[in-house]
Amino acid sequence: MKKEKQVDRPAATGPSAVNVTLRRFELSDVEAMMAWASDPQVAAFCRWDPYESTAPLLAYLRDTVLPHPWFRAICLPGDGENGRPVGAISVMPAGDPKRAELGYVLARAHWGKGVATAAVKRTVATVFSEVPGLERVEALVDVANPASQRVLEKAGFTREAVLRKYCFIKGKVKDRVMFSFIDTDPLVE
Amino acid sequence: METVTLRPFSLADADAMMTWASDPVVTAFMTWDPYTSREPLLAFISDTVLPHPWFRAICLDAGGAPVGAVSVTPTDDRCRAELGVVVARAHWGKGVATAALKRAVAAVFGDLDGVERVEALVDGENAASQRALEKAGFTREAVLRSYCMVKDRLRDMVVYSFISTDPLVK
Repeated sequence: MKKEKQVDRPAATGPSAVNVTLRRFELSDVEAMMAWASDPQVAAFCRWDPYESTAPLLAYLRDTVLPHPWFRAICLPGDGENGRPVGAISVMPAGDPKRAELGYVLARAHWGKGVATAAVKRTVATVFSEVPGLERVEALVDVANPASQRVLEKAGFTREAVLRKYCFIKGKVKDRVMFSFIDTDPLVE
Repeated sequence: METVTLRPFSLADADAMMTWASDPVVTAFMTWDPYTSREPLLAFISDTVLPHPWFRAICLDAGGAPVGAVSVTPTDDRCRAELGVVVARAHWGKGVATAALKRAVAAVFGDLDGVERVEALVDGENAASQRALEKAGFTREAVLRSYCMVKDRLRDMVVYSFISTDPLVK
């Protein structure tokens, strides 16, 4: 029996904004994932190194993504419900039951079109009701990544601070900007 | 202004530790509840304090019993560690915490390999602790809204940091 995909209704995000659909991943998405997961420019600000083959990516998909409580494929309209993902967005528990960390990644071909912003807006519109007890979603962005900072600002996040020498990524100590969206913050249309 | 010395703990410090660890006023802003008996405190010393990479007793004179504790705990990120400090109520308001913080940041970057950032998360309403950190040269970076649960209440936490290149305050 064919397994039904769970599909959210597309976000209505304003007259000129992008509509995205967030759905659960499937193993068959691995080829589409390779488009961003193998791209060194995409991986530059991420903790992980670009994937060189699909086998480890398939393992990651199977062992981490599929069992994860909130890890979604970002799909664009026009591809139908079986559309190929152009990116991923996840909300990971972060050391307190009230708090989770947002992460997102997008294939380079879709940068600069508002796709990530639409995905983040869609996420904060739904995740608080889907994850019991969640009150705060936070995101840590490299100080040298203004594009990602703009995504969060446009999605209604509050820029709380620059945290100096916050984390160690790919051999370097990095400053991070902390953004947050709490349950009672207004959603941005 | 108090001068303090920092030294490792031993099990023999349990009684002194009980003074602050059992005090509900001291633990008001802590995630943990006051201790009501010696055995769990001894277990805490054995299991957590003695093996800890950086957990120090705050003493007012070199041979004396501790009046508090300061700890710096590495996180999953090798460059970042979290600081905690606690002082017995009888020694509040004399600069003991400030002095202990100054000593801690002077020592910890040399002691903990790879750590470049020491941070402290302080309850938004804990003005005394915030002042102690500021006087010890920490930078107030942000208020993190609805950050964590402390004793069944969702709290805003202020994050302070001292990084390895910050100037030490005399």
